[in-house]
Amino acid sequence: MADKELTVSQAFRSVGQPLSQIDSAGKTTGLTQYLQDLSVPGMLHGSIVRSTIPHGLIRKIDTSQAERLPGVRAIITAKDCPGVLFGPQKPEDWEILCQDRVRYIGDEVAAVAATSPEVAKEAAQLVRIEYEELPAVYDPFEAMKPGAAVLWEQHPDNIAYRFFIERGDVDEALAQADHVFEHDFYTGRFYHAPMEPIGCIVQYQADGSYTMWGPTHVPFRSRMTYSKGLGVSMAKIRIIVPPFGGSFGMKYELNVNCIAAVLAKKCGRPLKFFYSREEDISAGHPRMGLHFHFRLGINRDGRFVGKEARVVGTGGARTFWTPPVLSTACYRIDGLYHFQNVRTEGLLVYTNQSPATCFRGFGNAEALTAFETFIDEVGEKIGIDPVQLRRMNSVKSGDLTLHGWNIVSCGYQECLDRAEEVSGFRDRNQPPKVPPRRVVVRGIGLAGGNHISGNRVIIDEFDGSSAQVRVGFDGQVDVIVGDPDIGQGMNTVFAQIAAEVLGLDPTSVRSLPVDTLISPHGIGTLGSRGTTIVGRAVQLAAEDARAKIVTLAAEMLGMEPGRVEFQGGNASVAKDGNRRVSMREIGTEYSTRHGGAYLVGNGDFTPPTEFPDASKYGNLSAAYVFGVHVAEVEVDTETGAVRVVNYWAVHDSGTVINPSTATGQVHGGVAQGISSALTEEVLVKDGLVTNPNFLDYRIPGFQDIPEMHVEFVETQDPYGPFGAKSIGESSLNPAASAVCNAIYNAVGVRVHQTPVTPERLWKLMETARQGEGKK
Amino acid sequence: MLVQLKVNGRDVAAEITPAMSLASCLRTELGLTGTKLSCEVGECGSCTVLLDGKPVTSCLVPAAQTAGRSVETVEGLASDGSLHPLQEAFIKLNAVQCGFCIPGMIMAAKAALEKNANPTPEEVRFILSGNLCRCTGYQKIVEAVLLAAQEMRDHG
Ligand code: FES
Ligand code: FES
Repeated sequence: MADKELTVSQAFRSVGQPLSQIDSAGKTTGLTQYLQDLSVPGMLHGSIVRSTIPHGLIRKIDTSQAERLPGVRAIITAKDCPGVLFGPQKPEDWEILCQDRVRYIGDEVAAVAATSPEVAKEAAQLVRIEYEELPAVYDPFEAMKPGAAVLWEQHPDNIAYRFFIERGDVDEALAQADHVFEHDFYTGRFYHAPMEPIGCIVQYQADGSYTMWGPTHVPFRSRMTYSKGLGVSMAKIRIIVPPFGGSFGMKYELNVNCIAAVLAKKCGRPLKFFYSREEDISAGHPRMGLHFHFRLGINRDGRFVGKEARVVGTGGARTFWTPPVLSTACYRIDGLYHFQNVRTEGLLVYTNQSPATCFRGFGNAEALTAFETFIDEVGEKIGIDPVQLRRMNSVKSGDLTLHGWNIVSCGYQECLDRAEEVSGFRDRNQPPKVPPRRVVVRGIGLAGGNHISGNRVIIDEFDGSSAQVRVGFDGQVDVIVGDPDIGQGMNTVFAQIAAEVLGLDPTSVRSLPVDTLISPHGIGTLGSRGTTIVGRAVQLAAEDARAKIVTLAAEMLGMEPGRVEFQGGNASVAKDGNRRVSMREIGTEYSTRHGGAYLVGNGDFTPPTEFPDASKYGNLSAAYVFGVHVAEVEVDTETGAVRVVNYWAVHDSGTVINPSTATGQVHGGVAQGISSALTEEVLVKDGLVTNPNFLDYRIPGFQDIPEMHVEFVETQDPYGPFGAKSIGESSLNPAASAVCNAIYNAVGVRVHQTPVTPERLWKLMETARQGEGKK
Repeated sequence: MLVQLKVNGRDVAAEITPAMSLASCLRTELGLTGTKLSCEVGECGSCTVLLDGKPVTSCLVPAAQTAGRSVETVEGLASDGSLHPLQEAFIKLNAVQCGFCIPGMIMAAKAALEKNANPTPEEVRFILSGNLCRCTGYQKIVEAVLLAAQEMRDHG
């Protein structure tokens, strides 16, 4: 049901062009100012006093020594804070500073303001806290047992959130199925590692308001969350979003903003917090560890007939964005394959670790890692090619899924076809029966994935976006949205969309930074909604501006509006023989006639989504995206070391507005997916993070990531701008499972846990060899 | 204490403490915030500048040791309003996403190309292996360095 009005991408002038990011000149010359580079006159520096024990009651806080340190301006504890429980999700369990109890090593007990970061840090170390230690629990299964340490009395079983979904009759389906297979998988705690750590600047104003500078995907939601914590109205919080130094899901709402607000108010000076790398890794908010258990019913012909799953998340001590991550991990995959009957229970469990949050992929990357390795194994067991198994069971264009999701366009089959073709996956070797010794062997693995383009359930109130396209007095065209560019190049895509509609050179269009004081109320940049949902609003705003320009230009030229044309290239917008008016003339004329007002086009877009009913039925997203990845690995069978040597990624993202930045998204997503599969894991021992630096927590470098081959199969979807769908998260989703499947193909052992470190793989190979020896 | 050094070809003096790193001196004393700090312990390359022409992680170099020496930062690359070929190539090929690693990356690449004007892709990956980027997956950075090398050979 592709929209008839859509034209093919070749006809576009800006859309489909590999434009450079419009703000990259600043980023390459060092002139772009990130939060790290910003300061406000009179600014002090803050440091957080963190708990050194995993669980305990606070008996006494002695700040006297810290207060005497020269340069210290203020110290706050829970006594200085409003003391309500708040947070971005339910259960609301944030405290600005711990009232009477700490729940993880790193929990926030007090904070210091001082004249330099060094003094603040030193003073923080001088704050003495006496605790009465309580038993702690780190494993979610232990935490759910009766008698385990309880983190929050309101949740005596330590279950913070429970998700349940059921459709059809799974018990009957599994009883009738020709085969039932089971599968367990664990995806480890994974750190976002943006090159710029967490930070903020907060200034308290005389009118009782706060101005906050800091990267956040969700400035307007942040305002809601912080306003509850600080006990002020939303209007009293202004958030200005500087350019991001990376985030990948980490920088949403962050309690440090509230700590800074209380401290800034107390000392009457603006204040900056900026985490060290160690603090960012150990007290920050990684992707949670997720345990998956699947039971899959499948018939001899390869049809799935039922799936039962249980997903258990290690949420940490407080609740960030883990509830929707958990639910996504439970059922997003039901929009990739038709399981006919499903039942999934998800449990988010409190443990004495730093609170986890969302990460690019939002639970679906993890679920796909678990399931796409399973499907590979199942296919082999019943003798059906796993690619064929995927083809047979996957959704197709026009399908309505079990949970009511309208798959308007789906290029999954094309992605499978193309990925198989370009990678040579079809001609792969059989895996060895037993891991060979003392050789380096190659293997190739394929995995698929899906994602959304915007998610109805991000906020209760509405789905959608709005934008303005504004022509200034001087003819400058600006795009204004409430959803920040997070470094991925979304502003460039918006410029291209506006330029397309207005026949402009896209490099002349600007997208303004987000400031909650002036930007429209945006849901934020998450759920892969930027290009599709916000971009559509930008398109509509540009069309509205265009209509106003046409009316005015026709008047200025003395011609019928129907004869006004827009010319590409420079600012000439209307012509009739030799008569033309430039965008500059339009802008000046409009402002002159209207007391200086801008010519403003408004656009808002509400996607055809439905808030799920009590059974969680309802179309979640405007558009669904798909992708297939193939990884080729080399495994050293002596050490268990794995290197990815070749990589192919084929995606259906609808119309690709900017093939260069979209390809860049895939490169970056794949790199993160590869290292989530092989190396990266936040290690926690007795509640203490043992690898809080880049030497021990290795993110991939140049030599760890192979050259990647990226392709797009273009489908046509009616809702996004010019048929565009998303890419940000789907780029990462299949990567880890493709690597795991390649490892199997190389050495013949199945992995059930990521990351597949050399030690883990070596053990699996040894076990397989010994098992074979005993036969 | 006062330290005198040359930064981007200009003689400057900065008031420093004995413990201050070159990175902090550049950023806070001299206002050159183009040099980024990401780990502050020499593990990421974000703070790479050239010290007497050689790439160093400026978070590890004591500012006091730079007296009388010459430092080149990302701010010194463009001249007379025209960008360095590396900057041009990074922009052209979208080797930049968030951009936080890019100043260090470009400085490291500049030093590398001075030693080897015609590197292979593998050599680029090897030479830059001390610089981390979380956004790009490195591929476009490799392509940009190769393109810049080509430009510099053709027009240098
Ligand atoms: S900040 Fe200097 S190497 Fe990381
Ligand atoms: S571009 Fe973001 S870290 Fe390299």
